Amino acid sequence: MIHIENLVKRYGDLTALDHLNLDIKQGEIFGLLGPNGSGKTTVIGCLLALLKYDKGTITIFGKEMHPDSYEIKKEIGVVMQNVAVFEQMTVWENIDYFCGLYVKDKTKRKKLTEEAIAFAGLEDYKKMRPKKLSGGLLRRLNIACGIVHKPKLIIMDEPTVAVDPQSRNRILEGIAELNRQGSTIIYTSHYMEEVEQICSRIAIIDHGRVLASGTTEELKKMIKTGETITMEAVALSQKALADIRNLPHVFAISYENQILKLRLTSAKHNLIRILNYMQEHDITFGRVFSELPTLNDVFLEITGKELRN
Amino acid sequence: MLHLFKYRFLQVIRKKSDMFWALAFPLILATLFYFSFGNAGLAASGDSDWEAVNVAVVTKDTSSENAQAFWTFLKQLDKDTINIKQSSASKAVKALENDTVQGIYYIQKNPSLTVKKNGVNESILTSLLNSYNQNSAMIQDIAATHPEKLPAALKSLSDYKPLIKEESLGGTTLDPNVQYFFALIAFACLSGVYLGVRSSFDAQANLSPLGARRSITPTHKFTLILIDMLVLCCIHFFNILVLNFYIIKILGISLGNHITLLLLVDFMGSMIGVCLGLAFGCLSKLSVGIKMGISVGITLFPAFLAGLMFGNMKNIIELHCPIINRINPAAVLSDAFYCMGVYHDAARFYRCIITLAIMSIFMLCIAFFGVRRERYDSI
Repeated sequence: MIHIENLVKRYGDLTALDHLNLDIKQGEIFGLLGPNGSGKTTVIGCLLALLKYDKGTITIFGKEMHPDSYEIKKEIGVVMQNVAVFEQMTVWENIDYFCGLYVKDKTKRKKLTEEAIAFAGLEDYKKMRPKKLSGGLLRRLNIACGIVHKPKLIIMDEPTVAVDPQSRNRILEGIAELNRQGSTIIYTSHYMEEVEQICSRIAIIDHGRVLASGTTEELKKMIKTGETITMEAVALSQKALADIRNLPHVFAISYENQILKLRLTSAKHNLIRILNYMQEHDITFGRVFSELPTLNDVFLEITGKELRN
Repeated sequence: MLHLFKYRFLQVIRKKSDMFWALAFPLILATLFYFSFGNAGLAASGDSDWEAVNVAVVTKDTSSENAQAFWTFLKQLDKDTINIKQSSASKAVKALENDTVQGIYYIQKNPSLTVKKNGVNESILTSLLNSYNQNSAMIQDIAATHPEKLPAALKSLSDYKPLIKEESLGGTTLDPNVQYFFALIAFACLSGVYLGVRSSFDAQANLSPLGARRSITPTHKFTLILIDMLVLCCIHFFNILVLNFYIIKILGISLGNHITLLLLVDFMGSMIGVCLGLAFGCLSKLSVGIKMGISVGITLFPAFLAGLMFGNMKNIIELHCPIINRINPAAVLSDAFYCMGVYHDAARFYRCIITLAIMSIFMLCIAFFGVRRERYDSI
């Protein structure tokens, strides 16, 4: 459905997109995961023919995308990172206006507007102006304006930034519902939990390059980390740390503020081995957590830095 | 299209700050002009206020015919051209020193005048005496042969009010103050620049999230700009109508009797203001703040050249560089108002209207080509 090949975008000396390649298939919820400034929004800008780019090709529905590709634009819905609604118009008027930019038929437009309001849970706020809405409701209005015409392709650029947990869950459920209704979705975020929760395929990008892509499981299999153990431990000696580091399957260790963090390759009884060592050496320890690898681990191993910032 | 028009209309009229600058600000200016320049309008006579000159009259000799005739001559002018204060020689000199009077006439065989300084009033007094002296023989003759006609003769000699009455080809008296109100209306029309510039932000992805959202819809850019233009023209036209109503009905200043033509000029003025704003807003890649700042200049500078701040400016430009008056929308608008209300020059009036229409279309094309197929360096 979308093919991006060797996309290069420079802002002066800064290379925002560095020979970026992506293929997005119909029916996917495709996640673009990366820290702030990694190039996610720039990819979206180029994809929508809003930004000039230095090199590369972009095709959507098999056709090259240009600013006047109105036939392609008919099938695309966009939810911008910044809320883009008219302050002077009510919730209903905003959604109806943006629907009117895609749909000429009045009856159809009214039906679509009502459906979008129901989808975003804005039934009680139809006559309110945006500045009277909370941050979460405003984001939902922003989404409703972007998807009201039921497009085949929906691009969502960090739609949950600064949204309360309740609204966030509602938005994520809504995205999954849109996908079930047949829309292909591109979802950018720096929240790995969201991406992990809803995306069927993910591309991790940083410095304008795709570092890895695949399903969540495929990405996790790419890395060495099979388990992460975190433990509260008081006053560990250097010898104890060296001993733990030499335990089987442990390949990384950190100890800061009395928190011991171990990275281990995938194996059975990793946690029991660590606990046995602590008991045998009379080392006092508190809470213990064992976690399977996350996308953050994937990002950390690939780039050497945390995704969270 | 009607759907988009309706919502754009609602969106613009609900934006209070923009409506203030486009509607209320010209009304405030009109009120200030009214109190500064008065309310004569096109129907006024054009006469300027005449302040009678205070003069002391000292009678030295009334026995001679010439002295009597001069005294009659002066009395004829009393309360009209001069204010006579009869007094003794010493009191008259004192009054002159205190500036209570501007001169002293001595009634005697050979009338004389004493003034303290040079000035307009002193010149008038001198001219009156000179005029009398030059015609004294004739006056004495009339007094002797046709005494009943002496007042009329003296009156004709003493009439110092303008002998040339300024009147236009259209027969309407030209009051210089009305020029300011025409320039004000032209300025108000150009205030549509603010509406146009602000509206253009919603068409450009690099200037606003709304611009980005509207840029990625399948609605043609030209349609979006055309709808914006039509909505803004309607709203601004209404604003100008309110201003006209205020000037004519509330301030009582006549702008002529051709209501249809007045509406036509108002509409063309609204259109050129809005289109100029759209063109400037869409063409340049400057930031929002800088564009709004320059808009002030785009509004005020042409209005200055058209005589808003200095009434004679348009005439000076006409003398030295007339092409500026042909391409300055404010000057063309002002000219159209004059042709309509003062000159009654239909050919020149329609030339102005056509010029404004061509300018508007040209600006609209600039706006469209400015955003058509536009990709931005950054958003």
